[in-house]
Amino acid sequence: MHTRFEHSLGVMHTATLLYSAIRNSSADVLQDELGYKGEGLDRDLQLVRLAALLHDVGHSPFSHASEELFPVENGKKYKHGDYSAAIVRTELKNVIEDHPLNVTNYGFKAEDVAALLDGSTTAKQRIFWRDLIDGQMDADRMDYLLRDSFHAGVQYGRYDLNRVVNTVRAIPSTRGRASRLGISEGGWHAAEGLVLARYFMFTQVYFHKTRVAYDVHLRGALKELLPNKQFPLPNSEQLREYLKWDDWKVLGLLADGQGGEHGARLASRDHYRLAYGSPEISNATDLALVDDMRKELGSLVVAEEESSSSWYKTGKPDIPVVSDVDPSTVQPLSKHSPIVLNMMPINKVLLYVRPDATEKANEIVRGVLENERNKQSAFGFASGVS
Amino acid sequence: MNETNKARLALLPALAERVPAGHIGRTALMKYMYFLQTIRGLPLGYNFSMYSYGPFDSDVLTDLGSAEMLNIVDVSPVEFAGGYGYRITPGPKADAAKRSAVQFLSDHGKDLDWLISVFGKFNSAELELASTIVYVDREFAKTNHHASISEITSRVNEVKPRFTSEQVHGFVEDLRRQGVLVSTDRIMSKAV
Repeated sequence: MHTRFEHSLGVMHTATLLYSAIRNSSADVLQDELGYKGEGLDRDLQLVRLAALLHDVGHSPFSHASEELFPVENGKKYKHGDYSAAIVRTELKNVIEDHPLNVTNYGFKAEDVAALLDGSTTAKQRIFWRDLIDGQMDADRMDYLLRDSFHAGVQYGRYDLNRVVNTVRAIPSTRGRASRLGISEGGWHAAEGLVLARYFMFTQVYFHKTRVAYDVHLRGALKELLPNKQFPLPNSEQLREYLKWDDWKVLGLLADGQGGEHGARLASRDHYRLAYGSPEISNATDLALVDDMRKELGSLVVAEEESSSSWYKTGKPDIPVVSDVDPSTVQPLSKHSPIVLNMMPINKVLLYVRPDATEKANEIVRGVLENERNKQSAFGFASGVS
Repeated sequence: MNETNKARLALLPALAERVPAGHIGRTALMKYMYFLQTIRGLPLGYNFSMYSYGPFDSDVLTDLGSAEMLNIVDVSPVEFAGGYGYRITPGPKADAAKRSAVQFLSDHGKDLDWLISVFGKFNSAELELASTIVYVDREFAKTNHHASISEITSRVNEVKPRFTSEQVHGFVEDLRRQGVLVSTDRIMSKAV
């Protein structure tokens, strides 16, 4: 077990390492393109550290499991980063702005920190550092992969952090496009390792069938517990109400027997069972088979989870790699790494049934699979593995 | 796959087909989606936020990867002096994807035409700048701030110091003339 607090400390530490490394390796880019001088870089290091420390303060109970219950406003579905920024702008405003160290040395406004969290343009040219807080090579990801691996007792999330830190670069702008974070050519295997670590952690831990089942139950129970079945908005009227919803409040309500069917299943560890899961990379035929399964299982299916909707989804990575010999030559990581070139987003679909329906569901699934095999045989395709 | 996801995937080949060159890049795709959702109000469900390279949501690239895997689009890397990009073209399953969201594409055909007429000739750097201007404009509008051209120019310049204020000012003026900005001369309470 580990907490968001120790993760937040880890993100602050990792952001410090990355920032310092970029400062050393890419001083010309920082100066020429962003107008930085030594004093400004000293100051903004502390700003980035604050943003890294506070990036998760807006998390709802049980973090990403309940993020689907964030409200939608003007077509925009809120994310936990929006809540983090709102909390920094309001609840933490005085804590930040009146802190003696800040008053004497930096003069940061809470808005300066919040802007790095939610991407407000009040961040000015410092928006460049947002990639360290929330990007493909951010300190958050670098910390949670290692930390979650360690605490889950697996090795999947391990990669060479030191090598990534030693080779991270600010990539100069090309063809008028903005500078961005990347890696030097000598570090592309380390970047590849980071991408693969995320892939493995997703498939083996974050989207593990049983862990996902508990997401379903946590979300379902919270839906029962929350007024209007969603979290309050991150605005001045409702933020205080949102802050009352912490892990302890929810655990207390669950212990009191609230949370409906999902609450009861959490309390008794009687989770939904997987009836059918599509391949990690599902093509059109695989997804058509999921449709068949869903149709045949009918009302037995009580939950359906798609990896493409998961917060941890892996997407299609593309990290810029800058040549060690010619700094004006930048190529994508996929140009160097055939593994990354061939990576596709994971779009696995999981269909769940209640525990007492497992046997019947398995029978139906076997029937659908047999039909599928027969169809393939009829078209002349060999079934099974040769 | 829900209706929103079908619409998002169907838009990819629809956009690539509409541009005169017959293909788009990843930056163009990202910014086109931003413009369609933010300016034209298409219900795409993306959550864009600002980076040094303009408004961005990684879900757009996830959708691109999914569309590539399902043969809705073909994506090939393109190298040029000092850098790289991607060429996104309609794939063998493009028509099937568009058929699955035929009503959505029919409802928003004029929005796509408008998008290409206004932004179709912009290069990546221009799209980064234009989308940043729209983002700043919407930030002002959200707080009911009636912004002047010089205020928008100044804020954009702070985010993108590599551009001269004359360059940014020219873009802001142009976008205002196109009716894209809402904080400069509209009644704020009606601004999106």
